[in-house]
Amino acid sequence: MSHVSIRHGWKTRWKVMALVGVMSLGLAACGNSSSSGGSGGSGGDLTIGASLPLTGDFSEPGSAAKQGYQVWQTLINANGGLLGKKVKLVIKDDASNQNTIVTDYNALVSQDKVDLLLGTFSSLLNLPASSVAEKNRMLYVEPAGGSPDMFNRGYKYLFFAQQATADKQGLVFADWVKNLPADQRPKTAAYPTLDDPFAAPNVDGIRQVLEAAGIKTVYKTTYAIDTKNYDSIVAAMKSANPDLVVHGATFEDGVGLTRAMLKSGWTPKMFYETSTPSFADQYVKAIGEPNTEGVMYAVSYSPEAATPGNKEFVAQYKKMFGTAIPPEDAADAYAAAQVMQAAVEGVGSIDDQLKLADWLRAHPVDTILGKLSWDDTGAPQSQFLIGQWQKGVAQVVLPPEVATAKPEVGWHPGS
Amino acid sequence: MTELAQTVVLSLLVGGIYALVASGLTLIFGVMRVINIAHGAFLILGAFIAYTLWSQLGLDPLVGVVITTPIVFGLGWLIYRLLVRPIRNAPMSSTVLLTFGLALVVEGVMGEIWGNDSTAIRPSYVDQSFHIGGVFLPKAQVYGGLLAVVVLLALWAILTKTWLGRAIRAAAANPASAELVGIKVTSVAAVVFGLGLAAAGAGGAITGVLYSFLPGSHYLWIARLLAIVVLGGLGSLEGAVLSALIFGIAETVTAVYISPAWATAVPYAIVFFVLLIRPQGLLGTRLRDDVVAA
Repeated sequence: MSHVSIRHGWKTRWKVMALVGVMSLGLAACGNSSSSGGSGGSGGDLTIGASLPLTGDFSEPGSAAKQGYQVWQTLINANGGLLGKKVKLVIKDDASNQNTIVTDYNALVSQDKVDLLLGTFSSLLNLPASSVAEKNRMLYVEPAGGSPDMFNRGYKYLFFAQQATADKQGLVFADWVKNLPADQRPKTAAYPTLDDPFAAPNVDGIRQVLEAAGIKTVYKTTYAIDTKNYDSIVAAMKSANPDLVVHGATFEDGVGLTRAMLKSGWTPKMFYETSTPSFADQYVKAIGEPNTEGVMYAVSYSPEAATPGNKEFVAQYKKMFGTAIPPEDAADAYAAAQVMQAAVEGVGSIDDQLKLADWLRAHPVDTILGKLSWDDTGAPQSQFLIGQWQKGVAQVVLPPEVATAKPEVGWHPGS
Repeated sequence: MTELAQTVVLSLLVGGIYALVASGLTLIFGVMRVINIAHGAFLILGAFIAYTLWSQLGLDPLVGVVITTPIVFGLGWLIYRLLVRPIRNAPMSSTVLLTFGLALVVEGVMGEIWGNDSTAIRPSYVDQSFHIGGVFLPKAQVYGGLLAVVVLLALWAILTKTWLGRAIRAAAANPASAELVGIKVTSVAAVVFGLGLAAAGAGGAITGVLYSFLPGSHYLWIARLLAIVVLGGLGSLEGAVLSALIFGIAETVTAVYISPAWATAVPYAIVFFVLLIRPQGLLGTRLRDDVVAA
């Protein structure tokens, strides 16, 4: 009897293993890891590795970042490659998971033996990933990880390829608000924010400026990443009735809170939101074009900007992905690759990557986001752009010297 | 007073939809002792099918439930036949592993078909509310909540008023004896798996109207759904409904009266304390195995 049971157990176990095996193959077929641009063997190629959140919570910006890297790879290979070598990309999927990303970057260094690294999306994932790069003394230029916590660890190889860290990204907006004429200036403000190392400092930076300017905080809260129900937050804001809402969001939660405000029938006079409104088409589809009118946000990139290489980037992006409006995250990834490229070409070798880092600390770099420069910690030292949705078009409205339109006061959903 | 009324209304609307989605998960466990980790993935699949019907054919996603539900039922039936049945008698950890793998595959397939972009279903009423006094009732949530009640009642009627329902309950209570009286337990299990996933599919069509979603969104759902069915008592449909309402109330009341930062933590704390007192959950039955273990 026991013999029969054991045989049955083994049979079942084999079936389980076979089924899981088949599923694993299926999953791998769905694109768990990919490489492109070379035909195996890195002898004549320069291999560049990154792990991105292609599935899971951050799959949307992660997929956009992958597109940005791919556009850069296509253009640089068309122009003769990097240091005369064809560039090959190895991109893994970290599934938006902090543990997986550590495994991925270790594998890129020790198994795939990549020559250079590029960063991932979000402060949450770049925090552990940059530690792997630092331990291995490899340059780590990241496209989307602006939390101040990234840059207080004394790292030498880390650089953030946007204009400013999260706590400073909304300062141009805050300065504009506090200098508005008295009859247009908000008197009260609410600050709901996602508990996120990027969103929360962004909102805090704005709040500190506005409170110092006498704009009273009437509601302030932080919510967890798995929050689904935003109606209760909106009900509380409705009771406080602020003139201005400054929302720290990524994407899903930004859409959720905006839709909850629209449903409640209450909307503030002014609305600023991090990240979400910069997702162009997807943002418009999610909340409806008439509801975008007047929403303001910090943004690193404008497809219309006359920055070096931007025209080529937009054209190639359209050729590869079918739209002439690249998402901000694709542009940020492209800029990160431009920064890495500038350092490699500036030094002329990748053997000692501390030299690449030292070169970046000493030289500003022209990118499609504008000229970028860094302090000793790798934190960028420029000014962010402020965007505003006007008549269904995402305009850059601040600072005035790069603006494509004038800022308008007020959020007018349903216009 | 208005704030309290608003809180109660929002709680019940959220809880009603949680109830529908969790009902399928608890049904599958009740009959088959399978913890279906892929349940959230089929919820999102239901949302994507509803999106396609709405964007391609202009079909209202809530009306589209009549198409979404049979499609997901058919998939569930097929998956049971091909994947779950061969390991039905394996240890529970094997089915957890299998359904987790299934969730990843479904996520990957959805990403291939619909892409990893965030998707939103926006029928004409999506930003509108009924206003009664100072209280607002979002139309999408009201319609979705009513539809959830209808689907739940249909499920309850199937389980209690039909021969199939009696067969399901018999198979759940004692599979060996059910076989002896002529019930094909395997066929019943396939129908139950299909029904369970169909409930997730219907829930997906509703939640797709309420929240934007992408293939990876199922991770946010499965933890919440598992907590709901454990609190209600694994296998108890009534328990899942009661527990879902408690979850909805706990989330909303915490967000309004304590802080949104605690809104997702407090319901889990409730689960923890209830299980300390009633390990079998609110309306669960204590099994012989549990007593022996105790």
